[in-house]
Amino acid sequence: MTLSASAPATATRPVITAWSAVSPFGIGKDEFVAGVLAGKDASSALDSEEWAGPDDHACVVPGFALREVLGKKGTRSMDRVTGLAVTAVRDLLRDSGDRRTASDEETALVLGTTTGSAQSMMDFTRASLVGERPFYVDPSLMPNAVMNCAAGQCAIWHSLKGPNTTIAGGRVAGLSALSYAGGLLNSGRARTVLYGAAEEFSNARAWLDHHRRGEDSTGALLGEGCAMFMLESADPTGSDGRALAEVLAVESRVYFGDDLREALAACVEGVLRRGGVDSGDVWAVSASGPAGSAGEQEREALAGRFGAEALDRAPSMAPIGDTAAASAAFQIGSLLSVAEQSAAPGGGVALVSSVDDNGVVACAALRLPVS
Amino acid sequence: MTTSIDTDRQARIKEIVCDVLELEEDEVTGSSLFKEDHGADSLRAIEILAGLEKEFKVTIDQSELERMVNLDGVYAVVEEAINAK
Repeated sequence: MTLSASAPATATRPVITAWSAVSPFGIGKDEFVAGVLAGKDASSALDSEEWAGPDDHACVVPGFALREVLGKKGTRSMDRVTGLAVTAVRDLLRDSGDRRTASDEETALVLGTTTGSAQSMMDFTRASLVGERPFYVDPSLMPNAVMNCAAGQCAIWHSLKGPNTTIAGGRVAGLSALSYAGGLLNSGRARTVLYGAAEEFSNARAWLDHHRRGEDSTGALLGEGCAMFMLESADPTGSDGRALAEVLAVESRVYFGDDLREALAACVEGVLRRGGVDSGDVWAVSASGPAGSAGEQEREALAGRFGAEALDRAPSMAPIGDTAAASAAFQIGSLLSVAEQSAAPGGGVALVSSVDDNGVVACAALRLPVS
Repeated sequence: MTTSIDTDRQARIKEIVCDVLELEEDEVTGSSLFKEDHGADSLRAIEILAGLEKEFKVTIDQSELERMVNLDGVYAVVEEAINAK
């Protein structure tokens, strides 16, 4: 008898069956689809009464007044990133309706982030330092200062009782979350996984970014939002027509120094090999496109491998700014937007590339359904 | 010398309690119970305590939570804490 660690490649591939977005285009998937396909600039001038950061423009979610969106109950102490995630999960559960057959106990949640809410962390620490006594702080704000606050609140609000995971991964967080979500399905820990990634705009984040931003990315606009996806094991018969995309493979690599091209090339080859994808079947390639040389190297490496036209078939993410942890999740949404408009060939493969100047690159291969 | 709690202070206490419990001020009376009538839990009680400590620059022992079950109880505890300063 022979034991093999690798299961048949096609038997365990998960499928995305629903998704939602709270983005600089507005609250809702339809707003995202329309905005990203039109490529319309979602930046706006920041109200100096409301924001006190270094930037005068950013791509914020329009009309996202948290207590107006989610109501006044249970939102007194909720911070922005949590509100964005809770709203995206709400819309995902609402729009997917009866399609989710898994119970709340069988439904997991995986959320990608950079560091939770930098604003909440700084506010809480500052309150303790500047108050008359170190304990003159609002205890209800303490949970916001923990990185997994948003994922936990999503589960509490929506009664999800399966595994609850936060993955801090910078720009590639959306792909790390997807990979982890697939693992939960394959290991039988959950029947349905709600996965995605969230990032908030805040004064704290804007200042942090301002001070670490290289000269080559001066003037980059920050964006925010959350995209969430429902991931399920593929129906073995493949006949129920629920799948919006089949997840063929997710890979990541690390690099040292300033040149990510070699790591990205290896990552791309890895994802093609593991997904069993012929590069000729790759129809569209979504680049993360961070400002500066990282973005230039990414585009150069991908165009060299797949041609500029494959890159151009994926919507540009520039109109929503640098959405950091949420960026790769929005890229997946942008490819599903193209597929929704029937602009993609059935069965074609779409690649998502994500690069971060923190030394990580990641790629995912998605097969769009045969319609 | 002890002072009894004045109406301004009572109004401010009520404001803090209503903010924490996410209630309108007309929903709360002096004797309505935070837990039984307004669905508060132990974390909310701690939030009320901490909010009052900060507002009135006092220290309230957590054992006082037993008495802080409604507004009247809170008025009494805050008054004692202020007098003890």
